[in-house]
Amino acid sequence: MSTVEFRSVTFSYPGAGADSPSALIGIDLKVLEGEVLLVVGDSGSGKSSLLRCVNGLAPHSTGGTFGGEVIVGGRSTRNHLPRDLADIVGFVHQDPEAQFVVDRVEHDVAFALENLGLDEASMRRRVEEVLDALGIAHLRDRSPATLSGGERQRCAIAGALALAPSVLVLDEPTSQLDPQGADDVLAALSRLNADLGTTVLLAEHRLERAAPIADRAIVMSRGEIIDGPDTTAAVIGRYPGAPSVTRLGRALGWPELPLTVRDARATATRLGVDLKAPLDQRPARGETLLSAKDLRVDIARRRVLHGVSMEIAAGDVIALLGRNGSGKTTLLRALSNLVSATSGEIVGSASIAYVPQDPGTLLFAPTVRDELAETLRLLGKPRDEGAIDCWIESLGLREVEHRHPRGLSGGERQRVAIAAVAIGGAQILLLDEPTRGMDAASRAALELAVRSHAERGGAVVLATHDVELAARCATRVTVLGDGEIVAEGDARQVLSGSLFAPQVLRVLPPFLTVEEVEMVIAE
Amino acid sequence: MSTAPTSEIKARSFGLSSARPRFVYLLITVLGIAAFLYPFWLPQDALPNSAHAGDAPLLAALVGVIVLAALALEIRRGTMNGATVAILGVLAATSGLLRLLDLPGGGSGIFFLIILAGAAFGPRFGMLLGLASMSVSALVTGGIGPWLPFQMLALGWMGAGAGFLGIVTQRMEKRLEIILLAAYGWIWGFLYGAILNLWFWPFVRDGGALSWKPGLSFSETLQRYWAFYVGTSLAWDAAGALANALIILIIGVAVMQTLRRFAHRLEPVVILR
Amino acid sequence: MSETQEIKQAHAVRSSWHAVAWLGWALAAAMSVQLAPSPVYIAIIVSICALAVETHAVEGPFKRAFPALIALGVIFSFIRVVLAALTTHIGERVLFSLPQATLPRLLGGFTVGGTIETGVILDALVAGFTIIGVMAVFGALNAVISHYELVQSAPRAFHEAGIAITVALAFVPSTIESVHAVREADRARTGGRVVRRARSLRLVVPVLERGLERAVSLAESMDSRGFSHGEPARGERVAGWLGLAGLLALAASFVALIGRSTDSAAIFGLCGGALIIAAVAVASRSNARARYRRRRITKADALMVALAWISPAALGVLTIYGNDTLTWSASPLAWPQVGLIPVIALIPLLAPMVRRPWESVIDSHSNELVTP
Repeated sequence: MSTVEFRSVTFSYPGAGADSPSALIGIDLKVLEGEVLLVVGDSGSGKSSLLRCVNGLAPHSTGGTFGGEVIVGGRSTRNHLPRDLADIVGFVHQDPEAQFVVDRVEHDVAFALENLGLDEASMRRRVEEVLDALGIAHLRDRSPATLSGGERQRCAIAGALALAPSVLVLDEPTSQLDPQGADDVLAALSRLNADLGTTVLLAEHRLERAAPIADRAIVMSRGEIIDGPDTTAAVIGRYPGAPSVTRLGRALGWPELPLTVRDARATATRLGVDLKAPLDQRPARGETLLSAKDLRVDIARRRVLHGVSMEIAAGDVIALLGRNGSGKTTLLRALSNLVSATSGEIVGSASIAYVPQDPGTLLFAPTVRDELAETLRLLGKPRDEGAIDCWIESLGLREVEHRHPRGLSGGERQRVAIAAVAIGGAQILLLDEPTRGMDAASRAALELAVRSHAERGGAVVLATHDVELAARCATRVTVLGDGEIVAEGDARQVLSGSLFAPQVLRVLPPFLTVEEVEMVIAE
Repeated sequence: MSTAPTSEIKARSFGLSSARPRFVYLLITVLGIAAFLYPFWLPQDALPNSAHAGDAPLLAALVGVIVLAALALEIRRGTMNGATVAILGVLAATSGLLRLLDLPGGGSGIFFLIILAGAAFGPRFGMLLGLASMSVSALVTGGIGPWLPFQMLALGWMGAGAGFLGIVTQRMEKRLEIILLAAYGWIWGFLYGAILNLWFWPFVRDGGALSWKPGLSFSETLQRYWAFYVGTSLAWDAAGALANALIILIIGVAVMQTLRRFAHRLEPVVILR
Repeated sequence: MSETQEIKQAHAVRSSWHAVAWLGWALAAAMSVQLAPSPVYIAIIVSICALAVETHAVEGPFKRAFPALIALGVIFSFIRVVLAALTTHIGERVLFSLPQATLPRLLGGFTVGGTIETGVILDALVAGFTIIGVMAVFGALNAVISHYELVQSAPRAFHEAGIAITVALAFVPSTIESVHAVREADRARTGGRVVRRARSLRLVVPVLERGLERAVSLAESMDSRGFSHGEPARGERVAGWLGLAGLLALAASFVALIGRSTDSAAIFGLCGGALIIAAVAVASRSNARARYRRRRITKADALMVALAWISPAALGVLTIYGNDTLTWSASPLAWPQVGLIPVIALIPLLAPMVRRPWESVIDSHSNELVTP
């Protein structure tokens, strides 16, 4: 009985104008008991609003105009506040850092139990059960501030599950996490769904991992459901932002579209694929802009980089891969002179600019244009509308140029931050995890901007977990492990035969991307 | 685990909705002021023997604690939604940490955010923020002591006052509003110092010409206190007050804009169709 | 981020005494300072505090509260001594003379300078010792107490207020982290160069924005986890009225004091205090919510506080019987006297030292302390 039912729901945010995310229009949806329902769509498509309607956060916490009815567990959100639905709906959102009420894991898990007035013995039992269910019992005494993103997100899920809700709603739970953390979180979700029969509503941008665990999916755009609900394979098969393997299947005209590398391999073996090898059109490297020799960096008396050397040449797009803590960010910070190296030297006169992971640390001006102009002002240059237009165009920000940078979606913000740093005129751009939380549209705009900066004789270094990004725009790949370079060279060479291989390469070596396959087919 | 569904949602208002809380806040203010200012009005014969006069400051601190307890009682279930607590939390943490920031001239960063947030979110929020910021600061830096109720109440009043000022200034032109708030911050730079000195001024009576003596007339006491204040704090507080005003003038417009962008979350307007 | 780490560590370690027990001990010590303000006894109390800090405080910013607060006390006292010496003139035991000036009426109209007298300086010095003593006691309290535990052990009537403080404390590490990140991003934007102009604006706004964005997320998380669930119980409403009555009684007490009616003031004052305490008790009782794994005050904790309070009680009795070593005055000038009985009376303040500072074993299945 605890299913969720939307009956012609419409919703708009308070003071809805051009600035607010799009509302919901006439949503009818029945979520089946015990299923995993995947909600996909670009930023601003209404995914978040839809999820927030399930437990009444929209409209009761966000404010706004709400029509229609959402029934969850027999209660209508029209006359039940989120807090009155806490025992049937658990809610987890994307920022793993902002969901902790108490600075200690087990006390935070118990927060919901205290609110609903459980007695001490039941609280003890529930907390133990939930900690075990998520596999985080060893973290119980820790402060969330000391945990990794994946661990934090699992703790947040534990907090949402404490009251044993029958429905769990997650708004992009893995978008801020590294691949390992994302895997852990999704594996935990799939286990909860299988063992406890919890109904899961999940919104995601990155479908490589999320799609395989979902039973059904819907696609949203401009506040409406434009596809589904239908089986995940069918919906994702039609969705433009599908994972690479699915699009590969589409390009090759396979009858059944795969969602995982495993399925794709099986189909490829069964049907057989015969394509000639792709041409490498990557240009030769230009003159060297900067070279770092034997960099060693210590942070808090711990050696983070053990003698790293690298060369950055004009036209390079270098992808820096490696797990969390392997020294990627530190290398970027050392190159941009934000930390000083203990030993080693950086030779070259090229100007460098660094875009940090979280674009929110940078933005403060009232409009996107002003944000770009601010950098020029700080550098003591005159306000150059031409240059501003150029970068706004290059990162696809034309539609939002007069909006408040802080009111934009994560992907748009990231692009504003890149534009705001790049406009300073640096030849070498260092981007730290630029695709975190980005939707397909933002990713495409970013890739274009990176390529064109390199073509104009600049260079870009991307520290990233996103192998697909590396496959699509990197000319060279450097893999870091424990503060040392473990592999370096041409992108295709390094990516082949490594665990970092992108999906297409795993199915159809030596192809890196679907676009390459499509080009060969077109020939 | 099931909960009785509330049949209907009551009109939610998180301001001073009924008369009692208002009356409580008013009484707390009156009592707090009386407890602070006892050196000025306490008649000598109210203190039966001079040996007991030493307890007066501790007694005043006790009154402060009791008053704070009565105030905390008004923060009950249903008086704060998640957004109020969370926004209060983040602002209190920020201004508690800003206090660690030593500004040139003995100023401290705790004031400006409380004033601006009070003006943006109203008197009740301003009061709560003042109290919470001070508690956080004391908890983080190890500042718990008999002076704490005085510091908390003083900042609470400052925040509440800023809230009332904000009601008046929110319709004004942005620059003018900020100038008024800066002036308010400047005045409180002195007031806060003067209030804080009061907790220990009567504490020690060394017979000096600038220290408290029970039984002096109001004007004599005031004169002594003024001289004491001039001697110990005036220059210091003047620098702090100037810092308050300058900070508000420099970043006030931008910070107010930021704060107001989040104001609708505190009291969400819900229209059901 | 060493600051964050240090604050974290101080949170995680568990003192062998409950935070409320430490508070009880500190109040006893502060009371003793009041009752025995002679420099000798204050020195003894300060030494006891130093011993408590040395044995029971965790390394970190909180431990530094002890010397910091003492230093603050010394500075206050010093300013007072200078002020008293410059402005107070009795005319006895003149040390030396300075040129004098009378301040304008607006600035208090006092004579500054003139004769500097030994008696005045000594009196101010002795008075200053009381300040240092109180500062030392509370400095020690801040150094040894678990602040987290203190917030957790507030009466249930203050549940919501406590959550507001808990949330704020949980924001402290992320705010510090935010400041570092924003500062670095600011430098990164200009290629490592620091531009000072309007820097505060560029730092404050992003820190605030990030914090408020997180607050909105946290608010949603709190709302969906049942924060403020249920209607206020009847007892909570009753408590509200009791609190109001208590405040009215206190107000009446002040009015009576002004009217020089000491007895009725005392009665009203006691009534007011009692009513508010009753209100807290009623609200706590009717607030049925239990707390998860709250550390309980054990018999040992209570015993320690009771022991510590023997000191102020004994000193109180000595005051009534007129022990003249307790206070010391500079006129007539003499060395401060030491009495054996008052020194013995201070010994119970050592009560917290009977236990090992840290629990070596925390039984994870029970809230109770394993008493050594």
